[in-house]
Amino acid sequence: MNAPAAPDAATRLPLSEAPIPDEVFQNMRRANLARWPTGAEVDIDAAVERHKALPRHKQLAWVMREADRQRRCLTQPRGGCGTFNMHRDLMVTLDREGLADVVPTTTDSYTRNEQWQLAQHGIEESEKAGRSLLNGYPMVNYGVAKASQLVDAIDKPAIMLTGTAMPMLTGEIGYAGGYSGYLGSGIAYTTSYIKELTIEEGIRNYQYLDRLAALYQARGVELHRRQPGFLTGTNVPPSIAIVTCVLDCLLAAAQGVRNYGLEMGETLHLIQDAAAVAACRELCQDYLAKKGHRDVFTPVTLLHWMGAWPHDDAQSAAMIAYGGTLAAIAGANSVTTKSTHEAYGIPTPQANAEGLRMTRTAIYLARNIRLDGLPEYEREKALIGREVRPIVDKVLEMGDGDVAVGTVRAFEAGVLDVPWSPNRGVASRVLPARDADGYLRIVDPGRMPFPGDVMAVHEERLRKRAERENIPYGPDLAVSSVYEMSEPIAKLMSDRWAV
Amino acid sequence: MAANQRTLVTGVIGSDTHIVGNRILSMALEKSGYKVVSLGALTPAGDFVKAAIETAADAILVSSLYGQGELDCRGFRDLCVEAGLDHILLYVGGNLIVGKHPWPAVEKIFLDMGFDRAAPPGTRVETVIEWLHEDFATRDRDLRRALD
Repeated sequence: MNAPAAPDAATRLPLSEAPIPDEVFQNMRRANLARWPTGAEVDIDAAVERHKALPRHKQLAWVMREADRQRRCLTQPRGGCGTFNMHRDLMVTLDREGLADVVPTTTDSYTRNEQWQLAQHGIEESEKAGRSLLNGYPMVNYGVAKASQLVDAIDKPAIMLTGTAMPMLTGEIGYAGGYSGYLGSGIAYTTSYIKELTIEEGIRNYQYLDRLAALYQARGVELHRRQPGFLTGTNVPPSIAIVTCVLDCLLAAAQGVRNYGLEMGETLHLIQDAAAVAACRELCQDYLAKKGHRDVFTPVTLLHWMGAWPHDDAQSAAMIAYGGTLAAIAGANSVTTKSTHEAYGIPTPQANAEGLRMTRTAIYLARNIRLDGLPEYEREKALIGREVRPIVDKVLEMGDGDVAVGTVRAFEAGVLDVPWSPNRGVASRVLPARDADGYLRIVDPGRMPFPGDVMAVHEERLRKRAERENIPYGPDLAVSSVYEMSEPIAKLMSDRWAV
Repeated sequence: MAANQRTLVTGVIGSDTHIVGNRILSMALEKSGYKVVSLGALTPAGDFVKAAIETAADAILVSSLYGQGELDCRGFRDLCVEAGLDHILLYVGGNLIVGKHPWPAVEKIFLDMGFDRAAPPGTRVETVIEWLHEDFATRDRDLRRALD
């Protein structure tokens, strides 16, 4: 295994939201970069010059601000291959054939877990087989110069998509190579992508990355950081996503991040998604202001359906196009796309590019449609606020005002919870389900302190579905909701009349 | 032997975090009378084998959703044999290799590795329960024949 990332316990500061002091951060960086040979390639002066030399349309921080100014909804796929050549070809295809506004590099799962020796083996096996055996690009193994060549191969900004609670070396190498965005955060990814790591360690790891972005900021380079509020991607109700958006955002702002995107998985209910985007933006800005951060830009991204997909290409194509429509009407600054291959695993570059063009066409058609003023939309938006505030306020209270401390204590108490979490430190008692009208609701709040009147709304809606489909009210509703979107359309909406 | 006396080990192999389907499968297997030792996400191959020895399990059900199952599952049967679990029933299921490939080709890769059954994406729990029922019945029959 690789050298552990944990610093000397004796010299490390107690957990808090406070920015990591300069000298401490210098030592942390030195130790971090020494963990794999390519770490030595990181030179902050050269990296700052590299970013300053990029045209602004290849700088994600600028592109997100500009998209917001122009009210555009950008498209961005996922994608990563196990060898440099395959991955470069993929990025070029997504840029040219997919018209992607933002080009991704998804890292492979060994890299996500800092198993760089296994990743090396995966590179060799992929080269031998002539196809990718890794599910992403091993950013750390290839190093800074190769990352830089990837950025040069495209004419869009590049973002790292890394599904990890351990971002420190991947982030250093990608940012140094000219990547201008990094998706990941301490609360969201630690609760959703790892089993054994504690919430505290995950928060500390991302405080490092946020502090690194702030270091670039101080040198005149604004980098984009982004929060994966889609969490486990399994029927996460907007309020639970937004609670983590607010808390992760406050942690990043405290380290000095100024350009911080928030992502949510689509519920696939048009009104709920539109309400979620507006509520997310408002609630994050509201809590940022309360903590004294008045200059943090927080664009919102929606993601195509994150749960199980149907095996029928036609059904999948509808979910892709509708997902673009939702994002455009919701006023999202960008949408993260999938393809018709989703049920089968990782798509070919061509299928991935098709997903992008389908989405783009839908966005074009739905441009400038908004739901503001529609009573059901306003009601839903207000409901999300009534769900988010009591939880966030309780977390802040539990931490005596400190977000990091409060978050750790709240997860221990189950006040913060994430549905279907793989992490041992998360109660994962909260259970979501889809109601009769297609909204995501909460069937069991676990120990999350949602107000009684709010839970009554959820229960009333869910009981309607239980009755209509003859499912017992309780966890069975949650399980059937996991599979719902992957069911054949003939089952979901029969063409036969009940006689 | 009745089904409710059987012990099954479940988990998601390798560096894979996709826990939802595996958790639902484990819940359903428990409900249908099996003793389920559920190892959760991100489980190394060796941990499956260790758990199977400790609990004298009758079968190991391996999930993989992220495409790297092909790398993670190589040598899995050998690990079992080395540990003295020569005849343990081995299932694997999920999105087993990177990309969209015809299922028979994928299935062959995993059967050649020594898995008794491979389940394509979208396989429902009812199917897995039927397979277990059939396979345990066959084993019991073979065992009786050997004893006669």
